Amino acid sequence: MTIDPMKQFYFVFLFLLIGTKLSFSQDIQEPRISGFFPGISFQRFMERVEEETSYQFYFKAQDISDLTVNLQADKSKLSDLLDAIFLKTDLHYSFGNENSVFISKGEKLQTQLPDGFFRNISRSDTDLNGQVDEAFVRNNRFVIGELTPGRTKAKLSGVVTSLENGEPISGAIVFEKIDFTRSVSAPDGTYSIVLPVGKHTIYIQNLGGYIEQRLIDLRGDGELNMNIGESIYSLSEVVVNSGAINHISRPEMGVQTLSVTEMKKLPAVLGEVDVLKGILVLPGVNTVGEASVGFNVRGGAADQNLVLYENSTLFNPSHLFGFFSAINADAVESVDLHKAGIPASYGGRLSSVLQVKPKFGRTDKIGGSGGIGLLTSRLSLEGPLGENTTFLVAGRSTYSDWVLDWLEDRADFNASRANFYDVNLNVSHQFGEKDVFEFTGYLSKDNFRFDPDTVYGYQNQNFAAKWTHYFNEQVEASFSGGRDSYDFDITGEDNPLNSYQFGFGIDQTFAKLDIRQDHGDQHIFNYGIHLNHIRLDPGKIRPYGPESIVISDEVEREQALETSLYFSDEFEINDEWMVSGGLRYNLYNYLGPQTTFTYPDGSSHSEQDVTGEVNHESGKFIKTYHGPEFRFSARYSLNNQSSLKAGVNSMRQNIHLLSNTSVISPTDTWKLSDEFIRPQTGIQYALGYFRNMALNTLEFSAEVYYKTMRNLLDYRSGATIILNDDVEQDVLNTDGRAYGLELFLKRSSGRLTGSVSYTYARSLLRTNQDETKEKINDGEEYSSNFDQPHHAVLILNYEVSKRFNATFSGNYSTGRPITLPVSKFEYGGSERVYFTERNAQRVPDYLRLDLSINLEGNHKVRKLAHSSWSFGVYNLLGRANPYSIYFVPQGGSLQGYKLSIFGSQIPFVTYNFRF
Amino acid sequence: MKAVFYFFFVFILAVSVSACREIYEPEVNQLDQSILVVEGYFDSEGLRSELRLSRTSNLGAENSPSPVLGAKIELISDTGDSHSIVEEGDGLYVFQKNIPETNTYLLSIQLPNGQVVESDPIQPILTPPILDAGFLRDESGVEVYVNTQGNENADDFLWTYDETWIFLPRIRLTFIYKPDEGVVNRNDDERIDLCYKTEKNAGIILETSSRFENQVVFRQTIKEFEEGDPRMQLRYSILVSQKAIPQEAVEFWEKIKKNSEDIGSVFSPLPSLIGGNLHYVDDQERPVVGQISIGVVQQARIFIDREEILPWDISIAEFDDCFIGIDTIRSAMYEQVFSSGAVLPARVVPGPMGPIGYYTAARRCADCTLYADREKPDFWKD
Repeated sequence: MTIDPMKQFYFVFLFLLIGTKLSFSQDIQEPRISGFFPGISFQRFMERVEEETSYQFYFKAQDISDLTVNLQADKSKLSDLLDAIFLKTDLHYSFGNENSVFISKGEKLQTQLPDGFFRNISRSDTDLNGQVDEAFVRNNRFVIGELTPGRTKAKLSGVVTSLENGEPISGAIVFEKIDFTRSVSAPDGTYSIVLPVGKHTIYIQNLGGYIEQRLIDLRGDGELNMNIGESIYSLSEVVVNSGAINHISRPEMGVQTLSVTEMKKLPAVLGEVDVLKGILVLPGVNTVGEASVGFNVRGGAADQNLVLYENSTLFNPSHLFGFFSAINADAVESVDLHKAGIPASYGGRLSSVLQVKPKFGRTDKIGGSGGIGLLTSRLSLEGPLGENTTFLVAGRSTYSDWVLDWLEDRADFNASRANFYDVNLNVSHQFGEKDVFEFTGYLSKDNFRFDPDTVYGYQNQNFAAKWTHYFNEQVEASFSGGRDSYDFDITGEDNPLNSYQFGFGIDQTFAKLDIRQDHGDQHIFNYGIHLNHIRLDPGKIRPYGPESIVISDEVEREQALETSLYFSDEFEINDEWMVSGGLRYNLYNYLGPQTTFTYPDGSSHSEQDVTGEVNHESGKFIKTYHGPEFRFSARYSLNNQSSLKAGVNSMRQNIHLLSNTSVISPTDTWKLSDEFIRPQTGIQYALGYFRNMALNTLEFSAEVYYKTMRNLLDYRSGATIILNDDVEQDVLNTDGRAYGLELFLKRSSGRLTGSVSYTYARSLLRTNQDETKEKINDGEEYSSNFDQPHHAVLILNYEVSKRFNATFSGNYSTGRPITLPVSKFEYGGSERVYFTERNAQRVPDYLRLDLSINLEGNHKVRKLAHSSWSFGVYNLLGRANPYSIYFVPQGGSLQGYKLSIFGSQIPFVTYNFRF
Repeated sequence: MKAVFYFFFVFILAVSVSACREIYEPEVNQLDQSILVVEGYFDSEGLRSELRLSRTSNLGAENSPSPVLGAKIELISDTGDSHSIVEEGDGLYVFQKNIPETNTYLLSIQLPNGQVVESDPIQPILTPPILDAGFLRDESGVEVYVNTQGNENADDFLWTYDETWIFLPRIRLTFIYKPDEGVVNRNDDERIDLCYKTEKNAGIILETSSRFENQVVFRQTIKEFEEGDPRMQLRYSILVSQKAIPQEAVEFWEKIKKNSEDIGSVFSPLPSLIGGNLHYVDDQERPVVGQISIGVVQQARIFIDREEILPWDISIAEFDDCFIGIDTIRSAMYEQVFSSGAVLPARVVPGPMGPIGYYTAARRCADCTLYADREKPDFWKD
C-alpha cells in the first residue's frame, strides 16, 4: 500500500504551513530576496523565502520533488528568481492575495476569482473533502455571511470535526493571529468566535496536533464547519503554537501544559512514560529524589499539590514507591500544571494543581494501543458503543520480577517481590444535542514483599461522573460527583503470635456544580459550589491470623466537610488589558464523633499541658475554619509578541500529610485539620514577562514569585506519626516562605525542538514563635527539605526524519539540604552521631543526562497496526547522584556513606503499537 | 499509653540496600564545644552497674570516646540517702548496691570543672523476669529470642546482649618454634588454636508489651544469624539483658536508634535531636546527652552448638587462601623462617629417621589470638 498522493500533499502542505511565516502587514513594497542558495532543494528554498519574507507558497509536493535551486540573489524580486528556477520546467507560479504564491504544474493557476465564486460551497469545507484538491480547502477564501452596511463585527461559528473519523473535536482552538481572538471548541465540536468584518486567516489547532488554516472573508454572522486532521499524522508533529499564543495572551501565569506526545519523547526510567515525572522538566518544579513521585512546586511541600484525574483526587499517584507514576499515559490526553494563577474552581491544596485530562475514546471504530516494556505491558481499547457513546479502557500491569531482580543489583530497590496494576475506564455519552455525560474510573493496586515476613500493599480507587449541559451558546453547566479512596496496609507475619495487619485509609465523596457563562464579549464568568466530605481512618492495627496475640488498636476515625463557593470573572478590558479575578470561600467543619484532649488556651499542646478529655458526638461541628481565597491575575500586552503579567493567589489546605521523612514515604498518613492543627494557608505574589519570538516558535518567559505559608507542619525530635492519637503533641506549627526566579525558553517547531529552563528558588521554614514544644534551629529560619536554589533543565528533541527522533535531556540542581551530624559519642556499645542544626548542609549537586531514541514504524494510514520503538539510556553518565549522606555504626565505629538511587546507566526499550 | 511500633523501622530498613551505597566522608561542620555524654542503667539489686562519662568528639577523631575523669557522682534518694558511685578510671564509674525500689532517686554529677549536672527524678522499675530464652533454626538461619510478660509498671523493654563464641583458626597447629629449643609442641598456655571471641552488641532492641494480649511479648527477636554465620563455628553463647524502662527512655533510645540505624535510606526519618533526662543545674538550655534509668536487670544466657543447627556451612573469604605450604623447612632454616613469627611450623615432614623438617602455615591462618582471646570466660560451660 502506498501513501495516497493526495494525503502526501496534505502532509507536506501542513508541514509547510506550520513553518510558514504568515505576515499580514500590508507591505506596500514588494519583498526582496537576498541570499546564497547553493544547490538546495526547492522546498528548502521556499522555506527560507518564507522565513525571510511574507511570501507563502502553496504547491503539490510531487510537482517540486526533484527541483533544486542554485543561485545567488541580491535584493531580487521573487518573480525574477522563480522565472529563473522554473526556466526549464513545466512549473508555473501565480501570486495571490497577501503574498501567497501558488505553484502549479502544466498551467498557471487562476488566483483572481470573482466575488462570491465560492459561495455555493462556502459554508462547509467538508463538502470538498476528497472531491477537490485539498489544497483548496486551505487556499480557498470562504465568504461568510451577508454584508450589512455599518456593521463592524460578526460572529463565526460552526463545528470542528475530525478528518479521520468524523467525530467532533473537543478542545480544538480556533483563533486568528492579528488580535489573537480565540475560541475553544466544546465537547460537541462547536465553536464560535467574534471577529471584525473582513478578510481573515482562521487557524484551527487540535491540542497537541497540527495547526490548520482557513481563509475567510467575513461579511456577517455565519457558519463554517471545519474538518481537520487529527493525530495520525504524528510524523511531522510540530507545534503547539496556540499554546505559544496563549503563552502571551492569557492573563494567568505559571500554567504549563505538557501533552502526552511530548512526554512520550522524554527519556524515562525503564521506558515507562511517566506523566508526573514529565512535569519535572518545567521550571519551578523539582523533586527531592528519584524514588519519589512527590514533586515540589515553587517551594511547596509534596502534599500541597492537588493531583486530579479529571475530577478525582489521587492521594498517592505512584507505583513501586514512587519509581513510576500511577497514571497510564494511554488514558491521558494532556497534563496541565498550575503553579500560580490557579482558577477559582480549584482549591484544597496550597502549591499547585496538576490536572490530568483523560481521554474518552474515538468515535469512528474500535481501536487500541499498547506497549511492551521491560517492567510493564499495557493495553488500551477505545471506540464507540452505539452512536452516542464512546469509551476507553486501559490497563497496565507488571508481568515479571526479573527487572526487579536486575534493578536490585543496580539501584536502591530491594523489593524482592513486587507487582502492580492499574485500570482506567472512561466513558462519554452524548444525549440530545446539549447534554454530555462522562464517567471516569480509576483503580490501582500495588503489592510488595520485602522480606519473607512483611507484605505491603496499597490501592487507589476513584470514580467520578460528570454531566454537562449546554444551555445556550453563552452558558454551560456541569455537575459532577464521585468518590476517591486510598488505603494501604502492612501485614507482618514474622511469627504467628506476633502477626499483625496495619491499615490506613482515606475516602472522600464530592459533588461539584460548575457554571461557565459568557457575558457579552468581554466577560467570562465561572462560578459554582464544591462539596467534599472526607472520612479518614488514621491507622489501626489488628492481629493477623488466629494465633496472633497482638492487641487491636485504632486511632479514632475522623471526618470533615468542606464547602467551597467560588466565582471568577475573566474580563477583557481592551486589547492591552485583560484581568481575571476570582474568589473562593472555603468553609471547613471538623465533625464528630471524636474524643479529644483539652489544653489550656495559648498552650502549644504538649503532653504535660493536657487538662482533660472531651467526647464529641457524631456529626457535631467540633471545629469550624473558614476563609476566603483570592485569585487575581492580569495581563498587559506590550505588543503582539510580548506581555507583562501579575498575579496574587491565596490558598487554603485543610488536609495534611504527616511525613517525617524527606520524601513522601509509602507509610505516610493524612490528617485532617482539627481543633489544634489549623488549615495551612498561603499567599503567592508573582510577576512575569512573556515574549514570543521568531514567529511564535520561540517562547520565552521570566517569572518571579514570593510566597508565604502559615500553619505548615514540622515535627519535634522523635515524633511518632503512626498510630498516634494525639498528633498535635508531636507537630510543630511552622511558617514558610519561598521565592524564586524562573526563566524558560522553548522552541516548539522545526527539526530541533526543546526547552531550556533555569530556576533560582529558595524555600525556607521557621518554627512559629508561639510554638513551645521545640524550636527547630532555635527558631531561626532553615531550609526546607527541597530547598535547591539552582535548577536547570535542558530538553532537546531532534527529528532526524519523520520516523526517527532523538531526545536528549539534562537535569542539574543544587544538592538537597540534609542534616549531617556535627560530632560523635559512644553510647549503647557503639559510636553514635550527634545532630544539631536542621538542613544546614547539602548533598553534592545533582546532574543527570538521559537519551532516548524513538523510532516510528511506517505511517500508512490504512495499515493494520502502527508500531514504534523507544529505547535509550537513563542516567547516561552513570553518575551516582547522592540521594543522601549518612553515618552508621560499623563494628562499633562510625562510617560515612552516600546513597544513590541509580548508580549506573539504566537502559530501556519499549515497543508500542496502535491499531 | 502511647504505643510505639518498631516494625516500621524494620520495614524501612528493608527498603534500603547497600547496592548503591558508597563509602563517603563528607565535610561536616564541627561543633565548637563538646557535649557531656552520660550512659548508665543502675541495677537496684546489687548487680554491678557501670556509669560511663564522656564527651562528644569530632566526627573524624580517631580515639573516639574522650572520657571524663575525676567527677563526683552521687545517687540521692528522696528519703535523703546518698550513695556515691566509685570511679574506676577511664571514665567508668561503678555502682553496686541494693537499694529500695520504692524511693525515687536523683543522680548528681559534679564535673571536675565544678559544673553540676543533675537528672530528673528517677523511679526504679522492677523488670519482670525473662520467661524463656532460646533459639529457632529455620531455612534462613538461626534466631535467638526471649519471651517475657510486662505489667502495669513495666510496659516498655530494652534488650541488649553480649556474644561470646569459640574462634578456631583455619589451620590448627600444635607446634611452636623456640630459638633455643627449635620446634617443639605447644603447652596449654601456648595454644593458639582455640580462642573465645566476645563482642558487645551495639543494637538497640525495644518493644512495648501492651501491644500484645496480656502484655506477653512472645518470641522477641534478639539476634538473627544468616545461614553460615562464622560465629557458629563450634559453640556460641549469648547473654541477653532485659531492662524495663519508662516511656521517656523509650523515646530517647528510639532517637538513638533512628539516628544511627535508620538514617540514609530512601524513606528514613529526619534525624532527631538527642537529649535525655539530665541537665546542667545552672544552664538548662545547655545540652547533655544521656538517659539514666534505675531498675532490675534480668539476664539469660543460652548456648548454641553447631551440632544443633547442622547443616551450617561456614565460609570465611578472608581465610580462603590459607593452605599448608609445600616446601619443607629443614632445621637449618628454622631460625631464618620462623623467627619473625609470620610463618609457623604446621605439619611434620616425616623422614626415615624421624622428622626432617616442617611444612609451614601463615600465622594469620593459624593464630586465633590475632582475632580473639585465649582466656576461657568464667561463665563458659563446655
